[in-house]
Amino acid sequence: MSGDPICSVRDLKKHYPITRGLLRREVGRVRAVDGVSFDVERGEALGIVGESGSGKTTTAHTVLGLEEPTAGEVRFDGEPVSELTGEERDAFRRRAQLIVQDPNDALDPRMTVGEAVAEPLRIHGLDDAERRNAIVADILERVGLSGDDADRYPHEFSGGEKQRISIARALVVSPDLIVADEPTSALDARVRSEILDLLDRIRREFDIAVLFVSHDLDVIRRSCDRVAVMYLGEIVERGATDSVLADPAHPYTRVLLSSVPSLDPTDRELGRPLTDTVPNPSDPPSGCRFHPRCPDVIPPADLSVSESTWRAIAGFRFSVQAGELPEAAVGDPESETGTGGDRAGEGRTAATVRRAVGLAEELPDPDAEAAVEDAAAALAAGDVDAADETLAAAFTSVCEREAPAAVDRPADAGAERVTTGTVSCLRHGRSGSAEAVRPDGDAETEN
Amino acid sequence: MPPTEDAPQFEDLDWDDIQRSKRTVTAERAALVVGVALIALVRAYQWLSAGPYLIGDLRPATVDWVFLLAATVVAAYGVIPFAKRLRRRRVSLFDALRRRPAVALSSAFVAGLLAVGVAGPALGGSPPLRFHHAFHPPVGFASTVPPQECLGVETGGAFDRVCHGTWEYPLGTNKRGHPLGFLLIAGARTAAYVTVISAAFIVPLAAAVGVVAGIRGGVVDDLLSAYVDVQLCIPALLLYFIGYAYYGPSLLLLLATFGLLSWGGIARLVRSEVIQRRGEGYVLVARSLGASGAYVARRHIIPNSTNTLVPAVFQLLALFVLIEAGVAFLGFHEVGTYSWGSTISESSNAAIAGQLQERAEQPAYKIWWASTLPAAALTATLVAFKTLGDGVRDALDPRGDRS
Repeated sequence: MSGDPICSVRDLKKHYPITRGLLRREVGRVRAVDGVSFDVERGEALGIVGESGSGKTTTAHTVLGLEEPTAGEVRFDGEPVSELTGEERDAFRRRAQLIVQDPNDALDPRMTVGEAVAEPLRIHGLDDAERRNAIVADILERVGLSGDDADRYPHEFSGGEKQRISIARALVVSPDLIVADEPTSALDARVRSEILDLLDRIRREFDIAVLFVSHDLDVIRRSCDRVAVMYLGEIVERGATDSVLADPAHPYTRVLLSSVPSLDPTDRELGRPLTDTVPNPSDPPSGCRFHPRCPDVIPPADLSVSESTWRAIAGFRFSVQAGELPEAAVGDPESETGTGGDRAGEGRTAATVRRAVGLAEELPDPDAEAAVEDAAAALAAGDVDAADETLAAAFTSVCEREAPAAVDRPADAGAERVTTGTVSCLRHGRSGSAEAVRPDGDAETEN
Repeated sequence: MPPTEDAPQFEDLDWDDIQRSKRTVTAERAALVVGVALIALVRAYQWLSAGPYLIGDLRPATVDWVFLLAATVVAAYGVIPFAKRLRRRRVSLFDALRRRPAVALSSAFVAGLLAVGVAGPALGGSPPLRFHHAFHPPVGFASTVPPQECLGVETGGAFDRVCHGTWEYPLGTNKRGHPLGFLLIAGARTAAYVTVISAAFIVPLAAAVGVVAGIRGGVVDDLLSAYVDVQLCIPALLLYFIGYAYYGPSLLLLLATFGLLSWGGIARLVRSEVIQRRGEGYVLVARSLGASGAYVARRHIIPNSTNTLVPAVFQLLALFVLIEAGVAFLGFHEVGTYSWGSTISESSNAAIAGQLQERAEQPAYKIWWASTLPAAALTATLVAFKTLGDGVRDALDPRGDRS
C-alpha cells in the first residue's frame, strides 16, 4: 500500500426523500448511507459487510456514481467523481467497474455473451468489431471460459459461468477498481470459492483494487485485506480483516460473527441480538444506532443488578419497543374491557408476563423491580405503549443519548501493529472523555 | 484452467486513440433515407409532370403516399432489425418455420397482404360497373338469382334460371358485377394500409412515451401516465364521427383518430416493462459504464420487452383492421375504397347499416359468396396477425432455440 488511495470516500451520505402528494412534499428521508468514510488502496481488497438494509449496496452504487450523493465526497485517484466531465468522466467510467449480485440478471438475456462482454468497449466507442471480438475471446479464456462461448446466450451457462462472464465484462476495459456487490451470494459453496479464487488471482495479476460488498463474513475473511462493518448506514468497526474477525470490538460485529454457525456454544451468548427487527432507516434510533439490539448495551449508572439480569431487562425493554414480545407476554385489551374479562384475564398476569420474558425473580434494585412490575402489569392488561413508556423512563442507557465516535480498536494482546482500525462503540470510550480506553486516542487514526 | 502466467497483461487499449466515432451509416438508417428519398423523388416527379396520372392511369392519393412512407419506416426499423436478429440465430429460419406451420402460413398470408398493399395502386382503379353481370356464383357453384347475362352454363327454364360459375369470374361477382377477386384484393389493400400506417405511427410514439415515463419517473412519469389515462377515456370512434361530420369519410381520418388515441395501452405496457427492468444488473452495469438512458432503452429494455410488446402490437393492429371493417360495414367509409367491411355489408341486407350504405335486395344466403368470402378474408387476417405476433415473439427470444 503505497501512494494515494485509488478511491477515497469522505463522510458520504445518501438520503432518499419520502415524498407525498402531487407537489412531492418531503415528509421524511430514508438515511440509507449516513456519514461513511473509507479509503480503498491500490490493489487491495476492502470488504464492506453488513445485514441487508445496512446501506452497503447504496454505498457501492454511490462510489460508482450510479447515485448522486446527498452529502460528502467520493474521490477517485484524487479527483472528486462528481466534478468529472467529458473525457475524464469517461476514463473514470472505465477505471471503476461493477459486478452485480445475481448472475441471472447480470447479463442481458437477449445479448450473446460476446456482445455483453464487448459492451463496455462499445459504449466507449470501440467500433472495430474484429478488434472487439479478439479482445473478448482473449478475456473469456482468461476467466476460464472458451472463446467460442462468445456466440452463446447467457441462459446456456450456469450461475458460476455467468459470474465469470460478469468478471470478464468488468475486466475488458482494464479497470483499477472493481466494485463487487455480493458477487457470490447466489452461488453454491464450491462455485463460490472458484469465483473468489478467480477474483483474487485477477486482483493480484492486474493489480486491481476490489471493493467487496457482502453480508457473508466467510467471503470477507477469504478475500479481503481490510474490512468495514456497516450498520444502518454507518460504519461501526473497521480494521484488518484478521484482527477484526478474530477479535471483534463492536457488539454488532460479534452478532454478525455468531450468525455464522459455530461449534463452540460459548461463542453464542454475547452474539445474540436483543431483538431481530432492523430499525427503519427513515427513523434511526438515537445515540448509537445499534443500541436497541445490542446485547452489550451499557446499563444506567444507578442500576445495581447483575449483567445477565440487565441483559434480560434490556431485552424486555427493547422487545416491547420493537413489538417483538413472545405471544404469552401480551394481554388482549379487548377482553379486559369486555364482559368476559375474567375468562381471558386469568391467564395473563404480571407474573406470567415476567416469566415469559425471563424476569420472574424479584430484582435486587427496588426502582428497577417497581418499573419491571409496572410494565409487566401494563402488558398483562394489553397496554403495550404504557409498558414501553414505563421501561423507557426507568432504564435509559447512555447508548441512547450519545452517538459514539470512532476510536482506535483495542490492540490485540501482543499485537505488533500499531493501528488495527477503529470502532464506534461507547464501551470502547468516547473520544475525549475519561471513560475512553485510550484517552490519548485520536478518533479516526488510520495512517 | 485458464492461462495465467504466459501473458500478464491482456491487450491494453489506448483510449485516447479511440475516437468516439458515432457510426452514422447503419442498415436501418440507409434503408430509411433511400426509401424516403425515392418517395420524395416520385412525388416531385408527379408534382412537376403535367398530367394527374403518374404512370398509366395510376394516380396516387395522399393516403398512398402516407402508406409508402409508413412502409419505409416499418421496413427500416421493424423488418431490418428483426432480420439482423434472426441471422444470428443458430436455427435457420426455414427450419424454425417448418416446425411451426401455423406461423409459416400466417407470415405468408401477412406478406401477401402487405405485397398487395404496396402493389395495390398498380392494379388500377375499380373495374367498370357491369350490373348485367351481377351475382355470378363462384366456379363450381350455382346461383338461383342469375345475372341478366350469365357467362357460364345456364340450366332451368325461363322462370327458374340457374347460372353456374364461370372462369371469367372465378370467385363470383357482387351486385354491381364487380368480381369478388378484385374486391378481396382491394380490401386487402385497405387492411394493409391500416396496419402499416398505424404500426409506423403508434409503435414509436408508444415506445417513446413509455420509455421516457419509465426511465425518468417522478413528475414526468406522473404527467405522462395521467395524460395516457385521460386519452384512453376518449372513444376514438366518437372522434372519428365528429371528424366525419366535418370532413366526410376518409381512411386517413380514421387512421389518424385511432392512431392518436389508441397508443396509450402500449405505452403503459412499455412503461411497466421499463420500470421492471431498470433495476436489473445489466442495466446497472451499463449505466455505471456511462451509457445514456436512450442507449439503455434501445439496447436493453426494448429488446427485453418484446415478449409482451410484440403480441400486444400485433393484437392492436388486428383490432384496427376489425374497426376499419366495422366502420365500413356501417357505411362511414369512402365509397371508392373497397373495404371487406363494406363488401360484406353491401351483400347482406343488414338493417343496421347506415343510410349511405347500399343494401342487398337478395337474402344473404342466396348470394352467400359475396359476403362469406370477404368475411373469411377478414377472419384469416385477424388470425394471421395474432399467430404471427406470437411467432415473432418466439423468434426474438433466444431461449426458444433449444426446443
